[in-house]
Amino acid sequence: MSIIFNNVRIPMSGTFFPGQKVLVEKGKVASVGSMIRKNVEKVIECEQKYLIPGLIDAHSHLGLFESTVPVDDINEPYADITPHLRPLDGVKMRDRAMEDARRAGISTCMVCPGSERPISGLCSILKTNGNSADVGLIVEQAGVLMSFGEQVKATAKKSEKSYVTRMGVSALIRETLMKAQDYYSLKQSKKMVKDREIDMEALIPLIKGEVPMRACAHRAEDIMAAVRIAEEFKLKLVIEYGTEAHLLASLLAEKKIPVVLGPTLVPRFRYELNEKTFESAKILMDAGVEVAFTCDYPGLPIETLRVAAAMAIQYGLEEKRALAAITEVPASILGVDARLGKIKKGMDGDLALFSGHPLDIRSRLEALVVDGDLFVFSNDLKIESGN
Amino acid sequence: MKTILEKGIIFYQGKFQELDKLVIEKGKITEVVLASAKAKKGKPAPAPKKKSETSANVINCSDRYILPGFIDAHTHISLEEEGVGYYDADYNESFGLATPQVRAFDALKMRDKAFNDALHGGVTTAMITPGSANPIGGQCCIVKMVGNVAEAAVVKESSGMKFAFGENPKRVYGEQKKFPSTRMGTAAVIREWLMKAQDYLKRKKTKEFKEREIKLEAMLPLIEGKIQARAHAHMADDIITAYRIAQEFNLDMVFDHCTEGHLIAKELGKWKARAVVGPTFSSRCKPELRNKTFETVEILMDEGCVVALTTDHPVIPIEGLSVAAAMCVRHGLDEERAIKAITENPAIILGLDKRLGKLEVGYDADVVVWDGHPLDVRSKTEAVFVDGNKVI
Repeated sequence: MSIIFNNVRIPMSGTFFPGQKVLVEKGKVASVGSMIRKNVEKVIECEQKYLIPGLIDAHSHLGLFESTVPVDDINEPYADITPHLRPLDGVKMRDRAMEDARRAGISTCMVCPGSERPISGLCSILKTNGNSADVGLIVEQAGVLMSFGEQVKATAKKSEKSYVTRMGVSALIRETLMKAQDYYSLKQSKKMVKDREIDMEALIPLIKGEVPMRACAHRAEDIMAAVRIAEEFKLKLVIEYGTEAHLLASLLAEKKIPVVLGPTLVPRFRYELNEKTFESAKILMDAGVEVAFTCDYPGLPIETLRVAAAMAIQYGLEEKRALAAITEVPASILGVDARLGKIKKGMDGDLALFSGHPLDIRSRLEALVVDGDLFVFSNDLKIESGN
Repeated sequence: MKTILEKGIIFYQGKFQELDKLVIEKGKITEVVLASAKAKKGKPAPAPKKKSETSANVINCSDRYILPGFIDAHTHISLEEEGVGYYDADYNESFGLATPQVRAFDALKMRDKAFNDALHGGVTTAMITPGSANPIGGQCCIVKMVGNVAEAAVVKESSGMKFAFGENPKRVYGEQKKFPSTRMGTAAVIREWLMKAQDYLKRKKTKEFKEREIKLEAMLPLIEGKIQARAHAHMADDIITAYRIAQEFNLDMVFDHCTEGHLIAKELGKWKARAVVGPTFSSRCKPELRNKTFETVEILMDEGCVVALTTDHPVIPIEGLSVAAAMCVRHGLDEERAIKAITENPAIILGLDKRLGKLEVGYDADVVVWDGHPLDVRSKTEAVFVDGNKVI
């Protein structure tokens, strides 16, 4: 389908530029400017509404928790090390949360298993327009999720099977990474016929540095444990949650470690959330750290991604950087910035049209385009069939 | 000795037609003559009677319906003998996780009343599979509904490997406080064993190979494409996960239950999927059954899938097979395709379409004579032949 947005505001060098046209063809942004003339199937008269790139949540469990069903597909409480779990095998694309995500303007999510076990599985990048997990898939192997801190300990204690201290968790992760390194070098040497080990196979891209270790950590100590391990094993690292990351801002900036920050809109219901503040984003960004917001669905409803950015503005962050933290920056952290996160010719046709400023919570989403598929959420929107 | 069924209405070449005669000899169908064919020819000169023909057992079937024995391509008949309970529950090795070495054939109880019920319901052949508690449950078999010992009933001792996706395995193992308790975990267990089996097959061909491993030996026919993968999957996403794994490991896969198949009918059609749909008569007793409908069969058939119906006995008693077909008719499916869904189609799905599912020359003489239309629930089976032997 080809769609043109007429007379729309789009973000440009820190402000919203009015009177623009955006053309989407064959699932991609084909052209941006004020002078586009083209016969298309759908013409959307936007009357100076706001068009932004489809929003990206860089950490979620979308589809792994099924709305209203008490048993989820997020955590494996009875296995410590499962890097070979693949979100694709658990995601329910028809779950209501997918529609919720679209209604919130979200076109892309990183979906991963839960953060209750030391190494819990692969991180995959999905779009929200799919009708089966395979259809929405962008990158299946975009990282390996590892976790530190209270939640891992709590689950270990409950399952009565496993390491229950922070030292134990780090030891277990190190043991696994050592094995993976040796497995990989043995495999490269080709000296013997060896049966593959499914968990080790899943760790090879991490060991090779092709994908990052995505480390769930709230407290500064837990973040440091992840940093230490990543350096020992020469792994790329992304910090998830990062509740106390602002306490390590300059260190993270120096080491170029990005943070997927959140969910901040929760009460301090665990000790490790004690230092939680909406100022984190600004402090980290000022120090030079790449920051993306997450609502950690179902930690928070998926609709609150925009709210997280707005709250940071309330605490001093500039609009431009808040918007980037739910568009460009998550695209960059996920390694898909060549195709997502900006309104630019040649990039994916993922666009969200809001009635007012997208970071004013009162603005409503009128339409969402994902890979050129149009979802309309407003009856007032003027859509005409082109010639 | 020959048996000859005369007159009546036969389900032949996909539709109901007037029969002149059907001849059964040595367990096979040797001749089918339609009334229309005979009328065309006119009266042939009366051939001199051969001696053998005089000893034929002739049954007049006027006003009766003559059908192939029905086939249920997914049951657990006799794995839990009816009326016995726990001591006889042989469905699931629910502490084993992956139990490919387990064979349903070794747990058949030939005196289970269900076999006789099946015959009264016009069912002459069934696939019997281990349960769906384990990600890899074990080997399925195909038997006819007769015989004192399993060997007398056997069609195939090992016809497929049972896999389970969705709620069952994660519930069973989650409650035991064991891995897996997510869908991802279930898929991981299945992949792990398929990978092991692939590597085992490679290793077996080298000199390093020493001791056999029973589980992996059991997986070899599957990896080599000699038996089917049978995937228990209700939800659309589970069906897609099963398909994904089948593609990764090049498995010959049949989808069992396929409750939400209608939601992904286009995909299933594209894959030319084979689906054994049911038990649709059950209640929506778990979340993954929430979209259950009797319309699934027609929607999938319209997309070009091969669809069979199942009772999943004992979930629904085996006699309910023709009732399930009738329910599909009530929901819009045409009669002919409803009957195919319990005759030809399950035969195709089980890989037995050269000998079962039709009343044609050369096919097994599994023939059922109904006193009325077989999809009228009031009709009874008057006579049932299995391999040419009259068993009712």
